[in-house]
Amino acid sequence: MEQQLLVEDHIRKNKRDTVIICMGMVLLLFGVIFSIGVVLGFPPIYATMIGVPLALLYIGITYSFSVQSVIAAAKARPANPQIREEKLLMYKVEEMAIAAGLPTPKTYVQDSSDINAFATGKKPEEAVICATTGALRKLSTAELEGVISHEMSHIKNRDILVMTVTVGVIGAIALIAEIVLRSLFWSGGRRGGGRRDGEGQAIILIIALVFIILAPIFSRLTYFAISRRREYLADANGAYLSRNPEGLARALEKIKADLPDDPKGSKTVAPLYIANPFKRSLRDSIWSTHPPLDERIRRLRSM
Amino acid sequence: MLEWIALIVILIVIVVVVIFFSYYNKIIRLENRIDNAWAQIDVQLRRRAELIPNLMETVKGYMKHERETLEKVTNARAALMKATTPQENIAADNMLTGALKSLFAVAESYPDLKANQNFLQLQDELTHTEDKIAYSRQHYNDTVLRFNNTVETFPGIIFARRMGKSEKEMLSIPETAREPPKVAF
Repeated sequence: MEQQLLVEDHIRKNKRDTVIICMGMVLLLFGVIFSIGVVLGFPPIYATMIGVPLALLYIGITYSFSVQSVIAAAKARPANPQIREEKLLMYKVEEMAIAAGLPTPKTYVQDSSDINAFATGKKPEEAVICATTGALRKLSTAELEGVISHEMSHIKNRDILVMTVTVGVIGAIALIAEIVLRSLFWSGGRRGGGRRDGEGQAIILIIALVFIILAPIFSRLTYFAISRRREYLADANGAYLSRNPEGLARALEKIKADLPDDPKGSKTVAPLYIANPFKRSLRDSIWSTHPPLDERIRRLRSM
Repeated sequence: MLEWIALIVILIVIVVVVIFFSYYNKIIRLENRIDNAWAQIDVQLRRRAELIPNLMETVKGYMKHERETLEKVTNARAALMKATTPQENIAADNMLTGALKSLFAVAESYPDLKANQNFLQLQDELTHTEDKIAYSRQHYNDTVLRFNNTVETFPGIIFARRMGKSEKEMLSIPETAREPPKVAF
């Protein structure tokens, strides 16, 4: 009982952190919009009218990035129930779906000797879980269950949706910043400026400019931070589903020992995997989509 | 300035209404989910009972000297078929889990049986059904826990009282079934 509570505490902490980071993201977007108002000298309402549709457009474009295109990029195929290993994978997917109270996702298999797995689909109803043949061969039942529980948690937490929207906001921030900087370059920053005398105004203008220049970098960093948070959250949630943090911890250990020298597959899918095959560095970095494996294993073992 | 105050008041009213509806829906939804979770356990239990005759048919020819083990499985299945209340169901299911565990343990010493494709497939499927039952029970208890947390903490308790909802009971494992299954060779 005590162990469960601990896992729940992890989940709660991770959720709270994600909320804080997401709010930071929204504040950043509004900050950009208001800075534009200051720089261009028109009221924030106009900037909002330009900025929000742009953000929505971006989200729409990334949203249409469908399940099928991810499956195609990963060169995955549906699991074959005639093959025992793949049938057992389908069984595990079904069991974890029951534990999570979700409809059973479609099970796919990717032919690769690496140990990896990913989940995609913005809604649980259209979700897909895909594991590599390497994972089926090299992981024990408990370890595979840990990996599937992690992926099931991504589906349950609607991480794909959260990340899609986040990418949309980042895109919008970058685009708005770009437009403003360019228009400033062409107009010399003098357009429509009403009363802009005095030193105070100049300082605000400079702060706003610096903010617009830095915003795209901040937004990318926030994206990576959200992604890492959600990996920790999926680990904790997965441990809660399987009631066995050790299974996932062992699987991550095997993945770490087995990191490919020559990562295959598509970079599009890389942020979706349980462990990023392109990031071999085990150091913590603000530029990575996944937290270091050692830290994830340590947290799982402390549950 | 007045417009701002009006806007803030309207926002607060909207937030309160949204909270009320979300709690009402949450309580109803959790209650439905609990019913559904029970129905799922029931489906898995039936599925498992259906698989047993096939297993017996396959095993019979190989395990002529294991009458006691086989009888235990048959009896547990009969108890499961007769069970009506959730507690009876769970007790019979625990009995069947124990009986199957000893059957599969005994099967280890029959190489011919272990090479039988049909047996292997049934074993995989029964293990899978057993896991599904365990996870459906876990999900049932998780959902009851969420329901109880919602109706017993603030502000959910206010709405729950008005709706006449109170705490529900979790599925406990009967004491008798908790002892580990004995394996006889």
